This record gives sequence, C-alpha cells and structure tokens, in this order.
Amino acid sequence: MAIVLDGTNGIDTPDLASAGPITGTTGTFSGNVTLGSSVLATPSGSAPSYTARAWVNFNGTGTVAIRASGNVSSITDNGVGDYTVNFTTAMPDANYSVCATSSDITSAAGATSLFVSDSNAPTTGAVRVISTYSTNANNGFRDSIICSVSVFR
Amino acid sequence: MRIIYPTDDGGVAVIVPAAECGLSIEAIAAKDVPAGKPFKIVDVSDIPTDRTFRNAWEYTA
Repeated sequence: MAIVLDGTNGIDTPDLASAGPITGTTGTFSGNVTLGSSVLATPSGSAPSYTARAWVNFNGTGTVAIRASGNVSSITDNGVGDYTVNFTTAMPDANYSVCATSSDITSAAGATSLFVSDSNAPTTGAVRVISTYSTNANNGFRDSIICSVSVFR
Repeated sequence: MRIIYPTDDGGVAVIVPAAECGLSIEAIAAKDVPAGKPFKIVDVSDIPTDRTFRNAWEYTA
C-alpha cells in the first residue's frame, strides 16, 4: 500500500530513527520534504529530476585543496591544469554526464575552461579534467582558482 | 596530508584527500593510487606552493 504525504499530515512517530530505514519501491510526496535542516523542494512540471552522484569544488592553484565535495574521496593533481576527481563510491558505469567549470578570478583577459580529458576516458571510479586558458597570445593548460565538477547518472 | 606517487612521464602526482569522504589517508591511498605505483604520505607543507615549474617536479623514493 502506498503512503501519500500531501503536506497536510505528517508521520507521527515517537522515534523514527530507531524504527530503522524506510524502504520500498515507490513513494509519492506532495509538497516539500525536509531532510535534517535541508528542504527538498518539489519541482514544477512533471519532468523527472536527478541529483548529482558526485561533486567537488577545489582550488587548483598554490596549495591545491578541496573546498567542499560529495562522494569524492580525493582529487589528484597531475600537473598544471590537470586534475583527476576520484569517487568515494564508484558510478554504475562510465556513461555519466560531467559538468565542469573553472574560474581564474585574477585574469584580466582571456578565459579559463575545464573539460574532460581527451586522452583519458572516464572510468567508474574517476574522471580526469583539464583546465585551460585562452587569449590571443597564450593557449594552454593553466591552474584555476575555482574548479567545479559535478557528475550526473 | 598528501599522497604522492610517480607518474608514467617522470613527474609526480599529488593526491589531495577530501575531508568529507570519511576515509582514512591510508584507505584513500589504497583506492586512488594506481595499482602497482609506489607512493608516500607526506605533510601538506612538503608540497611546494610555487607551481611555476609544477610539471618539472619529480618523485624521490
């Protein structure tokens, strides 16, 4: 039997955590769902929505460091503008979609871009990304201050 | 902490652990260092911050 949460009636239980996980194959939620302090807003329309399976924001310059991440165990600094994002839990296959962006906020001219490496195919465990910088006089690998990678599957 | 290992082209790769992943540095090394590669766990301060010659860095066993 399906349980319908329509926003007007909550589930009243003295201690849901001790009751164990809620399991099932399907469920219908109307209105917003709150997980901890976060609210999952119900999107408009009927198109399905998908969340990122992994994401990371890191500084690719100086002392390369991860600012924040999800399902990422580490990044590998392979060289100038060359990084590998390693997943904590592997993807089901390598047919995932990668959204990668970069920003070099010190650049007065030109633009940085971050893209999946041409010479290293994504794997279930990692994806290698390249940061480049383009001006009329200079095209090549370049470290970027803000590198963001999200993976959808 | 950082994990370093030699790359196939004679350089060095530096693994930056994610604090939120919940894995130990040893577990990350076991998972993210390519199979068969030697590696070392070093302090962040051991990694140069000047990346001018980043591609010339070498791994010393």
